[in-house]
Amino acid sequence: MTPLDPATKKNALELRDLNFFYGKFQGLKDVNLDIEERKVTAFIGPSGCGKSTLLRTLNRMYSLYPGQRAEGTVNFYGQNILDAKQDINLLRARIGMVFQKPTPFPMSIYDNIAFGVKLYENLSSAEMDDRVEWALSKAALWNEVKDKLKQSGLSLSGGQQQRLCIARSVAVKPSVLLLDEPTSALDPISTGKVEELVHELKQDYTIAIVTHNMQQAARCSDYTAYMYLGEMIEFGSTEQIFFKPSKTATEDYITGRFG
Amino acid sequence: MPDKHISSQFDAELNTISTLVLEMGGLVESQLHQAVYALVHMSRESAEQVMENEVRINQFEIQIDQAVISIIGRRQPTARDLRFLMAISRATQNLERAGDEVARIARMVKSIVDSGSPRNLPSSELRVAADLAAGMLRKTLDAFARLDTTMAVAIIRSDDQIDNEYNGFMRKLITYMMEDPRTISASLDLMFLAKSIERVGDHAKNIAEQIIFIVKGEDVRHSSMEKVESAAG
Repeated sequence: MTPLDPATKKNALELRDLNFFYGKFQGLKDVNLDIEERKVTAFIGPSGCGKSTLLRTLNRMYSLYPGQRAEGTVNFYGQNILDAKQDINLLRARIGMVFQKPTPFPMSIYDNIAFGVKLYENLSSAEMDDRVEWALSKAALWNEVKDKLKQSGLSLSGGQQQRLCIARSVAVKPSVLLLDEPTSALDPISTGKVEELVHELKQDYTIAIVTHNMQQAARCSDYTAYMYLGEMIEFGSTEQIFFKPSKTATEDYITGRFG
Repeated sequence: MPDKHISSQFDAELNTISTLVLEMGGLVESQLHQAVYALVHMSRESAEQVMENEVRINQFEIQIDQAVISIIGRRQPTARDLRFLMAISRATQNLERAGDEVARIARMVKSIVDSGSPRNLPSSELRVAADLAAGMLRKTLDAFARLDTTMAVAIIRSDDQIDNEYNGFMRKLITYMMEDPRTISASLDLMFLAKSIERVGDHAKNIAEQIIFIVKGEDVRHSSMEKVESAAG
């Protein structure tokens, strides 16, 4: 939970003067932030504060919608994600996203994983089998589904479905995983498993997580960002934010004195 | 904790704990006064009363601890709420130990009375140190109630005064013992009494340090006076 020595710190994403607009409404205001490699960065804040917007900016999810635009730069290992020339499909393979509600494809568990991989890689069926097992193991789901890979992904429980979605994101070997309230539709046991998974996955991936559950941010992140009305109010190590935040606004929010 | 949580029940729980700590502190303080009375007047009855009341201090400790554990478990406090509860827990521990010291004073007074009181020894001079310690405890509770860090710094600084009184008293007792070896046994009793009074001051100082921890988030235990001042400033 302690930040590393700055000399060894490496950032996966560097956000500079990031502004975001839903038509005329400004959803993000001059956000500056570094997301450290192989760490978990949590975004907290009341509804409408811009945390999901920020996450959606990081893999250009917004470009599906007309009238939404981002200004500023998001540096991802040397390239600006917001650049119009950016290949969006390639970007989303490298920056995966998992949503609030589990969204398995209406196909078998096996195909749920293989589908994305086929878009980017040409694997033999043996290689694909290995990849599916690898991804499901990474998502701590392999033991539960290895005997029913041909069954529909929709036959799984909510918690399993969510881990299937995480496995699907992991399968294309991204470097960053964006989790948008990944446990808000799950029971405490499934939530615990996903949180444990986040801890495992950060060995290999950079993780950004949006959560309404402050204790979840406290439990599983290395860094925490508090956002309000589109602005980054405070960013710091999770320990510092939850023990001694430097801004009164942050303190009021995390101690439940908000509003 | 002047401002309000969204959950008024949470506020009520924190206020209840604060009140309990202040009540417990008030009890320790009145116990100290009574123990000093017992000492100055060599009153066996007052000493016994102090010993009986110690049970109530111990009960406060358990009751406050349970309340703290319950809040941590159910509400997962953060930031200043977390620091507040940690500080409450430490303050309570210090109050309980101060209560032990006071009970020890009472026990010694009783045994001195039982063995024939040492009229020719400077027992009433302990009163200065005891009044200092009681005053320090009073101020600490006030500062705790108001989360006043300026006062907390002053309290921490004033602990030296009690230490000086203690050292002075020690030297005086040594003189008595050298003049008349028959006073050695009674002098040793007084020496332990003085030590207990000095310890009460130490506990008050420890609690004052927790006030700075709550307000500023700085742990000033085992720190120099300069560090304490800069943390509280």
